[in-house]
Amino acid sequence: MTNPAQIIAVGAAAPAWRLPASEVAAAWGRKGGRGQAAVCPADEDVLTLAADAALRALAASGLQTDIVDGLWWGTSRPPFAEGPSHAFLAAAIGLSAKSGGALCAGSTHSGIDALIGAADAVAAGSARVALVVASDAVVPGAGTSFEERAGAGAAAFVLTNDDGAATLGARVTRTHPYLDRYRGDDELETRDIYDGRLFREEVFLPVMRDLGEQLSALEVTGWSLPDPDGRLGAAAAKTLGAGTPASAGVYGALGDTGAAAPLLGAIAALDVAGRVAVVGFGGGRATGVVVNADRPVPGAAGLAAVLGTGRSATYTEVLRARNVLQPNGETVAMAVPPQSAQLVRGADEILGMLGARCVDCGTINTPPTIHPHCISCGSSKFVLEPVARHGVVHTYVINHTMPAPFQAPLGLAVVDLDDGARVMLQVAGDGSTLEIGAEVDLVLRRYAYERGVPVYGYKATVRTPDTTEEA
Amino acid sequence: MAWNKVAVVGGGLIKFGELFEQSYEQMASGAFDAAVASVDKGFDPQLVEAAFVATQRGTLWGQEGIGGNTVPTAIGLAGIPCTRVENACPSGSDAFRVGAMAVASGVHDVVLVIGVEKMRDKSGDEGLLARAAAGHPVYTRGETAPVLFAPFATRHMHEFGTTREMLASVAVKNHFNGARNPNAHFKNEITIEDALKSAPVCHPLHLLDCCPQTDGAAAVLLVNPDRVAEFTDDPVFVAGFGVATDHPYLHEKNTFTGLRATTMAAERAYKMAGVEPGQIDCAEVHDCFTITEILDIEDLGFVEKGKGGVASLEGETAITGRIPVNTSGGLLAKGHPIGATGVAQIVECWLQLRGQAEERQAEIRNGFALQHNVGGRGSGVSVINILTTNR
Repeated sequence: MTNPAQIIAVGAAAPAWRLPASEVAAAWGRKGGRGQAAVCPADEDVLTLAADAALRALAASGLQTDIVDGLWWGTSRPPFAEGPSHAFLAAAIGLSAKSGGALCAGSTHSGIDALIGAADAVAAGSARVALVVASDAVVPGAGTSFEERAGAGAAAFVLTNDDGAATLGARVTRTHPYLDRYRGDDELETRDIYDGRLFREEVFLPVMRDLGEQLSALEVTGWSLPDPDGRLGAAAAKTLGAGTPASAGVYGALGDTGAAAPLLGAIAALDVAGRVAVVGFGGGRATGVVVNADRPVPGAAGLAAVLGTGRSATYTEVLRARNVLQPNGETVAMAVPPQSAQLVRGADEILGMLGARCVDCGTINTPPTIHPHCISCGSSKFVLEPVARHGVVHTYVINHTMPAPFQAPLGLAVVDLDDGARVMLQVAGDGSTLEIGAEVDLVLRRYAYERGVPVYGYKATVRTPDTTEEA
Repeated sequence: MAWNKVAVVGGGLIKFGELFEQSYEQMASGAFDAAVASVDKGFDPQLVEAAFVATQRGTLWGQEGIGGNTVPTAIGLAGIPCTRVENACPSGSDAFRVGAMAVASGVHDVVLVIGVEKMRDKSGDEGLLARAAAGHPVYTRGETAPVLFAPFATRHMHEFGTTREMLASVAVKNHFNGARNPNAHFKNEITIEDALKSAPVCHPLHLLDCCPQTDGAAAVLLVNPDRVAEFTDDPVFVAGFGVATDHPYLHEKNTFTGLRATTMAAERAYKMAGVEPGQIDCAEVHDCFTITEILDIEDLGFVEKGKGGVASLEGETAITGRIPVNTSGGLLAKGHPIGATGVAQIVECWLQLRGQAEERQAEIRNGFALQHNVGGRGSGVSVINILTTNR
């Protein structure tokens, strides 16, 4: 008998924007609209959200990234529908090139799939330390009934086989071959298939009732329940006698975060001891997992800051970021196309933000592949290492004049990092908080969506009173 | 003691501007004709033994692979040796230096240096601005030309208290000068207020802190000093030059209050010419942006480091000031057709030293004029030429 998997730390992330439901309602000539949903600006997506959450969970765990044996990532829409999504995320988090794991995708159930897959690997002894990440950035069909609620976010769990603050316990699954949310090949937007009443009465509530009866028998004290439209969560909770589920606060702040929703809802309950039922739903399946927390899970308290930040975005900005609203005419092509050898040579140093530390004088040269000789002393002996992820702005600009697909204003900053490296990077956001001496953190962001391919790199984010604590 | 192994006996340019109606070849021909016509005792074009052509980027008008053979046919001298010199914004000034070395080596007695640049055949978005997407896919993404200089303005303001008014005073002065140059792109005077109120381009630089995109061409004729009397009794000599490179990326800079390439090039040029900064009577310096001129006049030793903004505001660099800078209107008003820029600056120095600059004539006391460019990724190259009337 092996030990069940245990959670030693968690982390959460949300994108920079919040879209008020009233903006969406107004665009379609409707009155009202309750609440808000988190939305990715053009430089964030499921991969950058996953990296943000994973690094926070790993920081809370106190573990080095290179001892992680595997990454289990769940998302309904991997950034490369077919491609190196898992490998890119592993490199960005700084995992060993020998690490394993799996990418679970295809529906919003994939978040809970990733958790179960990692838990089984740990319980079976094939992974000693497993990293679970669930992230999503739902792109709803314009004008659909759930458009106001379609959100984005990420949650990460670090699992081991001992010494965790919480233990993964019983699980229950029910499958039904019904469509719920649907997206076909070549489709960007997720659509609703069914009449809302049909979905509620014949698909969602029967499944929840069936699953809930099994879980309720386990003396559950907290719930993370799905809420696909802003009302069904409350209906399910009522059916189960669950009161107000812990997940309600996450839905209120971020909307429906798809595959990330069950794990984000769990984090909301894991900052205190208790027994939490974590329910994932989607793709014709529902799965509940019981988590027994002996004590508050490290990192869970950071959720409040994630939910509390973000700036209000207009519907128009959101449509631009989602590529639904596009400029007429040609956009300027990246001189280095995605298929360039430069991005093969540079893959590790760009995703891992590597520098070449000169063995003779200590100067850190970035990026390594364009520095066969040290810029300070001319030596050619280097040690490759990730640069520090925190620093101070030495000087900066805010570029207002660029052709499409660039969006102004765009901040660019020369940053002195804590390890002495000097880098120049784009700044996330509109640059309005930039100043000389400002503290910044380096975060993975999507630099471009070039010829249909995402290109990732690091940007600087300016620390504000809201973000200082979590970093 | 100045080097003086090469003489400049002619120089001319076409009127700079948005020359939609002229081809690259027509611009080259016009500049060559102007240079030929400028020679005091007349000049037979067939005397040209070799040409050095500066064109920085053919891609701005759809020419991927322009080379040394582009110009001779256009100017009616097909068959002569011709070499293209490309060295970023200093391409024209470096072509001049290379041409001077060709004469000084004794290989050629009469050399043409010609700079030609067609920058407005493509729309703004597809022209220079497209460099936002050039270079490294991450580390230089979004790096349009102002991004190469605006970080220096931000830091110069922070360290020395330089203000936007001080930056604006450079634009005001150069527009004043340009309004007195028949060949300038812009011929309108502006006020500090105009500059301050112009649209933001790349904070802290606004539209009138930036040079325009300009079509243009300029040419000079270099000869062996032994043969100078055939062409003029009023020659100008190449007193010296200096070139230096610096790391190409901004994050590799140690300082954002000066351009190291300029400092090093200046040291070399002054040494070769045997002069001190205080002996320079007037200078044409690289003012692609207002902050660039402020950095230049400090890096060239005309004013103390950190005092460039104040000196500009107080008129020290005006035509009537202590050290007249960019009497031609500079890149800001005359325009910046890249390959032609350095050559046109040489022409202005040549006119000033010969007392032919008319309304914008500076007082020539010591007989030295300095020409300077800086550019390339991260201002990684600077070229300086010093001219003199002293034999």
